[in-house]
Amino acid sequence: MQEGFIDYQKVLNNEEHAIKSTQSVIQKAVDWFRSKSMFVLAYGTGCGAIEMPPTFTSRYDIERLGVVGVATPRQADILIVSGYCSYKTLKRVIRSYEQMNEPKFIIALGSCTINGGMYWDSYNTIKRLEDYIPVDMFVNGCMPRPEALIEGFVKLQDNIKNAKKEAGYIKYRENNEFYKANQKKIFGDNIEPSYEANFEGMNR
Amino acid sequence: MIESLKQQYNIEQKESRLFKLIIKKEEFLKTLSFISSSSNFITLSQIACADWIEDEIFKLNYILTTKERDKNLMIELEIPREESKLPTLLNFFPQAEVMERDLHEMYGIEFIGNPTLYDFALENWKEIPPMRREFDTLAYVNEHFDFRKGREDNRDVKVEIKRRRAEAKRLKNANK
Ligand code: SF4
Repeated sequence: MQEGFIDYQKVLNNEEHAIKSTQSVIQKAVDWFRSKSMFVLAYGTGCGAIEMPPTFTSRYDIERLGVVGVATPRQADILIVSGYCSYKTLKRVIRSYEQMNEPKFIIALGSCTINGGMYWDSYNTIKRLEDYIPVDMFVNGCMPRPEALIEGFVKLQDNIKNAKKEAGYIKYRENNEFYKANQKKIFGDNIEPSYEANFEGMNR
Repeated sequence: MIESLKQQYNIEQKESRLFKLIIKKEEFLKTLSFISSSSNFITLSQIACADWIEDEIFKLNYILTTKERDKNLMIELEIPREESKLPTLLNFFPQAEVMERDLHEMYGIEFIGNPTLYDFALENWKEIPPMRREFDTLAYVNEHFDFRKGREDNRDVKVEIKRRRAEAKRLKNANK
């Protein structure tokens, strides 16, 4: 680490910031299994999608970590938002995300999802992805190499296994108004179909 | 083929394979229909548009390509920015559909007779078309998005690189 630069990932994953986990033994086992089988929705936005084929095929072969691609959102656990999202794409991203079954996680790839990246002054791409959907892991870079993506996966597995951070889907469920309000700000009333999810009575 | 067109129109040769013809807005349909029916420029490969806000015009370039793909013909015309209307080319070049739809969305040019002029890449766009130069992108972005604040310890990259270089040099000299 070069002096003067903070390892933000380290800070975020710091024990102080972690939720105080009260994992029972069974929950621990379930989380361990969960971290070893991540099904990724085969969907790419932006230029970062180019880095995903080598990650998943023989060159980097992420399948050895239990990360597999699947075809439909119904079977997927992980959504990789691999770059800039235009309004039009974001609408599809949100729709795919809402169709996924819990537990579900989002990995955001590239600077564009963090602060707009090189599209910071573009009229139809969003700037901060986590305003609209909860992001569990950011991988920065323009574009990130497959190694970086793999590291993101490993960190995410670690988070899931040890219940280090509150998962995004719980945030989405509990702060649904916040996300919906932000989405409404850019889409107007055109979120179709409008999901009026009723999460009452659901336990974690 | 181009020779026979040259007899009719004032075609200028720009490069070995590129020709240019400037026409008036009124002759547009007549010229294009003539060229499409009686020459081998059968493909419309592009419609380019430039916004000359100072002169209050749009300059449109219809780029046609021959069947053999060996010659290109640019047909340039100007239309006023206000009331920017043109007849569609769908009858002569079916591939114009998508290009006209795109131009309609980005510049607000109306192509009379094209039935597909609804949303294309931008959905529910309510502002003025974004490629028109009076559209202020930065103001739009500032109005619609919050930017992430930089880190507290962020530094000017150039200054930081200079500082590090000087530091490295100092260390190297000290080690000598
Ligand atoms: S961060 Fe760079 S590589 Fe990724 S989507 Fe944005 S511009 Fe493309």
